[in-house]
Amino acid sequence: MNHRGFTAFGVALLLYVFAMVAWVPLGPGLVEVMNDEAGQTHAIAHGTHFTQSPDQLRAFAGTQDRLIPLDFEVVSDHRLLLRPTWPDTLHKRSLDLFVQSPVDGTLSLGNAFYVESASLDPDHRYAPVEVLDGSSQLGFHFPFQPQIFETIRNLMLHVPMWFTMFFLMGISFVQSIKHLGAKGLGPADERAVTSAQTGLFFGVIGLVTGSLWARFTWGDWWVASDPQLNGALVTVLVYAGYLVLRAAVDDPVLRARISAVFNLFAFVLLIILLMIFPRFNESLHPGKGGNPGFNTYDLDSSLRAVFYPAVIGWILLGMGMYRMRLRMESLSRRINRLEP
Amino acid sequence: MATPNAFSFGRVAFLVQHTFRVEFRQGHALIGLLLFALSSVYAAFQAVGDDAGVESWNALIWIVLIFTAFNAMARPHPDDRPENRQYLTHVVRPLEWMLARTVYHWALMTVLAALVFAAFALFLGTDHLAGGRGWWMLAGLELAGWALASCLTLLAAIAALAGAGFGLTAVMGLPLIVPIVLVATRFGNDLLGGLTGEETVENLLFLGTLAGGITAFGLVLFPYLWRD
Repeated sequence: MNHRGFTAFGVALLLYVFAMVAWVPLGPGLVEVMNDEAGQTHAIAHGTHFTQSPDQLRAFAGTQDRLIPLDFEVVSDHRLLLRPTWPDTLHKRSLDLFVQSPVDGTLSLGNAFYVESASLDPDHRYAPVEVLDGSSQLGFHFPFQPQIFETIRNLMLHVPMWFTMFFLMGISFVQSIKHLGAKGLGPADERAVTSAQTGLFFGVIGLVTGSLWARFTWGDWWVASDPQLNGALVTVLVYAGYLVLRAAVDDPVLRARISAVFNLFAFVLLIILLMIFPRFNESLHPGKGGNPGFNTYDLDSSLRAVFYPAVIGWILLGMGMYRMRLRMESLSRRINRLEP
Repeated sequence: MATPNAFSFGRVAFLVQHTFRVEFRQGHALIGLLLFALSSVYAAFQAVGDDAGVESWNALIWIVLIFTAFNAMARPHPDDRPENRQYLTHVVRPLEWMLARTVYHWALMTVLAALVFAAFALFLGTDHLAGGRGWWMLAGLELAGWALASCLTLLAAIAALAGAGFGLTAVMGLPLIVPIVLVATRFGNDLLGGLTGEETVENLLFLGTLAGGITAFGLVLFPYLWRD
């Protein structure tokens, strides 16, 4: 398979990814428990099917091992009207909410209630309750994550950008080393700058999709305290500096040599900023700080089925763009030679 | 004449001495640097007054150190003129030149960092430096100054070869020094915020590692820049 075949395969993978991102539904989950003006307690859910089997629905408050059954009324597919009657003694004041349904499986919401009226006994046990099988009967769906909700689809558009940028900057790094090792002005210099330009493009898209995601999950377009976010911005600035440096030198031989040296510096900084620093610092990014997000347990099989093809697809597309740019450059050089 | 075959510390020492001599002969260059550092501190003092909080004290001293470092490293040195470089490539090895320039910049930053620190203590007060923290802060400033010197020495050499001046060094350098700034500001915040030096010593070690690593990297890469 030649490189066009790889690019076509990448585009096909991305078509599959976009189709899945657009059509796969989000799984069911509990969003919040709130009190309305009349003092009634509502449980708000997302993607649930409460009206399909209202009689087989169960709701509990408590913790995994100690549950208090709750009275409730089904208002709609996504809303329950709760009528909690708290016992005189509780084992904890802060209680989770569990809703079980034969369609949606077991849903939970941490610290949904805070009960002040009862007396406290950590060893207190309640009457045993009948619990349903926890599995759901829904088809293929993306997992429901608190705070992230539907924006989980952005996983396929944000994270692979960085993988692609790493990949392209890696090519640039290797070509710069090759250039410094070779004599004269070979093809390595042009490959280094072209892959850095393409990688920079993916880096900028990664920043934009990340900023959008931050707005919806962290509440702000940009946050000061996240090392990975700021490391990514600095990396993009450094590679922009690489292009400025190239623009500042006219002699092609000198330009190739000094920009290759700077490129090696830039890649080492990329490794330090994006792979080493975030491990030593508190971060809002998933898997690094106390953030509800994707660690190894959260990236479930349905996400993997789309995420891995997305990573491969974006990298192949990035490679394709890089090859295409190289070809454009060489063609325009040929045209310049032919035109007097 | 051809480039010497073997590395010689004697030539490095001579180059360092020579760089100092040229600088002192110019006179105004070094005085200008000191004046820049002092007036930056004074501007900071005018902005926050003499009872600056931990955050302002810490932020301002690193900003002043960064700009002093840029000012010291990015200005054109007489030896960087193309005709001088042409001559030097025949009589010294690139590694010797780079080592000499790095040593010279380290020495310069040692003095400038100490000066910035002293001026800060004088103008902005020593309220946050109780309990021996002043020595730790000085150590942090020196290490950060050396790391900045190593980084900017290479970048200034690149910019000089490109025939561009201060602007290009700033465009390339300001993003590249971010790791140093991140570690340094965290060290300052920890120290002035009430931790003892021993409790935040890993940040100092990190700064030292950065300084050493960048120097080694620059020494490895620089010979490629000078190759004809």
